[in-house]
Amino acid sequence: MSDLSFATGGVRNTIKPVTAPRVQARSPAAVAETEPKIVVKDLRFYYKKFEALKGISLALHDKRVTAFIGPSGCGKSTLLRVLNRIYELYPGQRATGEVLVDGRNILDGGQDLNLLRAKIGMVFQKPTPFPMSIYDNIAFGIRLYETLSPSQLDERVEQALRRAALWDEVKDKLRQSGLSLSGGQQQRLCIARAIAVKPEILLLDEPASALDPISTQRIEELIAELKSDYCIVIVTHNMQQAARSSDYTAFMYLGELVEFSETETLFTHPKERRTEDYITGRFG
Amino acid sequence: MDAALNVTTRRRLDRQRLQDTVFRTTTQFFAAGVLVLMGAIVVALAVGAIPAFKAFGWGFLVNSSWNPVTEKFGALPAIYGTLVTSAIAMLIGIPLALGIAVFLTELCPPPLRRPIGTLIELLAAIPSIIYGIWGLFVLAPFLQLTLQPLLIDTLGELPWIGALFSGPPLGLGILTAGIILGFMVLPFIAAVTRDVFLTVPPMLRESAYGVGATTAEVVWHIVVPFTRGGIIGGVMLGLGRALGETMAVTFVIGNAHRIKASLMAPGTTISATLANEFTEAVGNLYTSSLFALGFILFVITFIVLACAKLMLLRLEQRAAK
Amino acid sequence: MSLYLRRRAVNIVYLTLSWAATGVGLLILFLILWTLLRNGIPALGLDLFTINTPPPGSRGGIANAIFGSVAMTFVATVVGTPVGVLTGTYLAEYGRGSRIAPVVRFVNDILLSAPSIIIGLFVYELLVVRMGHFSAWAGAVALAIIVVPVVVRTTEDMLSLVPGSLREAAIALGAPQWKVIVMVAYRAALQGMLTGVMLAVARIAGETAPLLFTALNNQFWSANMNAPMANLPVVIYQFALSPYADWQVLAWGGAMLITITILVLNIVARALASWSNRTL
Repeated sequence: MSDLSFATGGVRNTIKPVTAPRVQARSPAAVAETEPKIVVKDLRFYYKKFEALKGISLALHDKRVTAFIGPSGCGKSTLLRVLNRIYELYPGQRATGEVLVDGRNILDGGQDLNLLRAKIGMVFQKPTPFPMSIYDNIAFGIRLYETLSPSQLDERVEQALRRAALWDEVKDKLRQSGLSLSGGQQQRLCIARAIAVKPEILLLDEPASALDPISTQRIEELIAELKSDYCIVIVTHNMQQAARSSDYTAFMYLGELVEFSETETLFTHPKERRTEDYITGRFG
Repeated sequence: MDAALNVTTRRRLDRQRLQDTVFRTTTQFFAAGVLVLMGAIVVALAVGAIPAFKAFGWGFLVNSSWNPVTEKFGALPAIYGTLVTSAIAMLIGIPLALGIAVFLTELCPPPLRRPIGTLIELLAAIPSIIYGIWGLFVLAPFLQLTLQPLLIDTLGELPWIGALFSGPPLGLGILTAGIILGFMVLPFIAAVTRDVFLTVPPMLRESAYGVGATTAEVVWHIVVPFTRGGIIGGVMLGLGRALGETMAVTFVIGNAHRIKASLMAPGTTISATLANEFTEAVGNLYTSSLFALGFILFVITFIVLACAKLMLLRLEQRAAK
Repeated sequence: MSLYLRRRAVNIVYLTLSWAATGVGLLILFLILWTLLRNGIPALGLDLFTINTPPPGSRGGIANAIFGSVAMTFVATVVGTPVGVLTGTYLAEYGRGSRIAPVVRFVNDILLSAPSIIIGLFVYELLVVRMGHFSAWAGAVALAIIVVPVVVRTTEDMLSLVPGSLREAAIALGAPQWKVIVMVAYRAALQGMLTGVMLAVARIAGETAPLLFTALNNQFWSANMNAPMANLPVVIYQFALSPYADWQVLAWGGAMLITITILVLNIVARALASWSNRTL
């Protein structure tokens, strides 16, 4: 108990105050500091017959970081993967309900998946550099939907790498394979790759869990910086990370959304018993 | 997320969808092509064989005369040779292959495991014709001088099985062909069996050693029963290969369409007959009889290989659990 | 004898037999290589590679046979590899959940071990009879049919090893499925697929039976794919079984060449495979 309050207490000073929060834990739509970029309504998700998400409803705000936390198997990664419909790769997985992105339901059949995914960037738990040069890794996504002159492409690649705080380390070896970088650098490469295509939303699935503490810190700094341009959703099993980096936090348990509110509120005055038990380490 | 896509993006998306469909359909086309190929082989062989089957009926399978002049053809000597040489090959190959597999998984010092394993696999890569000329110029004369006289003088004197080992030591013949085939399939079965042995969970073997079992006991009572299906599958794969082998057998079998009791006598197999006679066959019935032989060989190997595949699949499923 | 001693004795017997079996296997390998070198090296010389197959009694080489083998192997590889790669791609990428995929895999594995003389018979019926004559094209097609199952198997195995997260990363950028496969998955599996092609080439380099009724043989130099073409295996077959000493020497020379090529290809392929495994 004391450890955690120290953590949140110490962290409280580093969170930029979210101005004028009229916080109501259960109805985030009323918070509306920025526009809700994604609105999830009664989302249910099934792995074959097993119901992994049981009627989730929440809103994810633009230019803010929302964290999903919860014990293993609670459905937080599943929820993340619904947002860009990447589950469609696997037969037997399906979703019902509505997920409105900018007002349009992406679960609807008429949606072009490739286009959707081009607007939503995703970074995975394990760094996944493509077996190509660093330059081509970044250029791959750009070349999919834009035709640029070589100098324009060079500029975009440099921009993305700078934004991901990787440019200085790789500017002399752009032609080397992406696999030659260290773990932390590879993950920043994946982030650069995701933001190079100018998405509107960034989904991060435990992006630092495979990295050492120093790399983790740099990634978190990066997220804080990127927030000003994107709607960021991050799944993490590291509560301190959630408390440090996010504006809103959703606590999930066994496929249900137990509590969703501003991070500060959730960690200091959780409304639900289960939330409190989890953040104080009684389980999970 | 604009509902209104600009024209270039829309065109790009449509093009992507088309490309995806084309690519996917192409892969499906070639995959189906494999099935069509198999079907075509069966049909081509059957069609070529029909005149012979029509002329001789089921008798073709049991008739032992093979006379291009009178146009009387019977498959029995060829079938007999194929089966007997393969049986000898299995008798020689299986124990040796099991011994090698046990060596590679239990006895070999770890740094030597990869090199020796590779050497065995290289043995499997040597083509049939090389085994053939080696058999003809090295093994056959050697057997003629050593093993064959030995067998004739010892086993040849016994009642019953003595008949198998009678006759002059020619060097060439069914026995030699069987031995060469055995050497050919041995590395193949050894490699498959070794891979199969490696699927045994280490914990299982370690606990057996832990209660004080000897290596032989661990292999016999733990590893072999666990991988039984895989071993049989590997053996049957080897058998499938042995049945269809052509060049190694053609060089040393003596090419005689006769069934003799003695294993020392020359004989023939289906594949050797085809290799020797196909390009010189004149007359519809002759050619058709050869096709009929090919059809029979295909059916036999297909059944053996299909059974082998099923056994190996079952082992894979078990190991995956 | 006590039970313990008996068990130990049995163990020693089994272990000795295992050692002996391995010894036999290695002995056969060395004997074959020794015979090839001993009989083949006398055939080595510029003549072997520059002069064509001679009538018995004259000086000669196997230049036309070497050319023919290389040409037909090349065509067979060029034809068979794309077919094999695309089929393997289907099995690995699109076959999940499909009911046809297991059947294709099953049939492919049977074709892998099917007697090669049957393939020769099939191509004879399909092409030689239709065209009215033997040809190197027919020989190449027969060899291609042997290449395909090998490449299908290795392609499918190698593509399956590519981690799903790599594919997801590409899909998450909005890449269409085919680009995910061609630009990401193929690149990741490239070394393994190359190994498969090398092993397929090693396999067909020594195949005799399929060429017996398709490409036949040719005494002279010929680069005409539409006619019978000389090739190493059939030349070895003919010359080794002949009673002429100089023909037999040439046969051994050819046999040595084929075997060395195949062994080198195998060793390089395996080295490539294990090297690529290490960098993954």
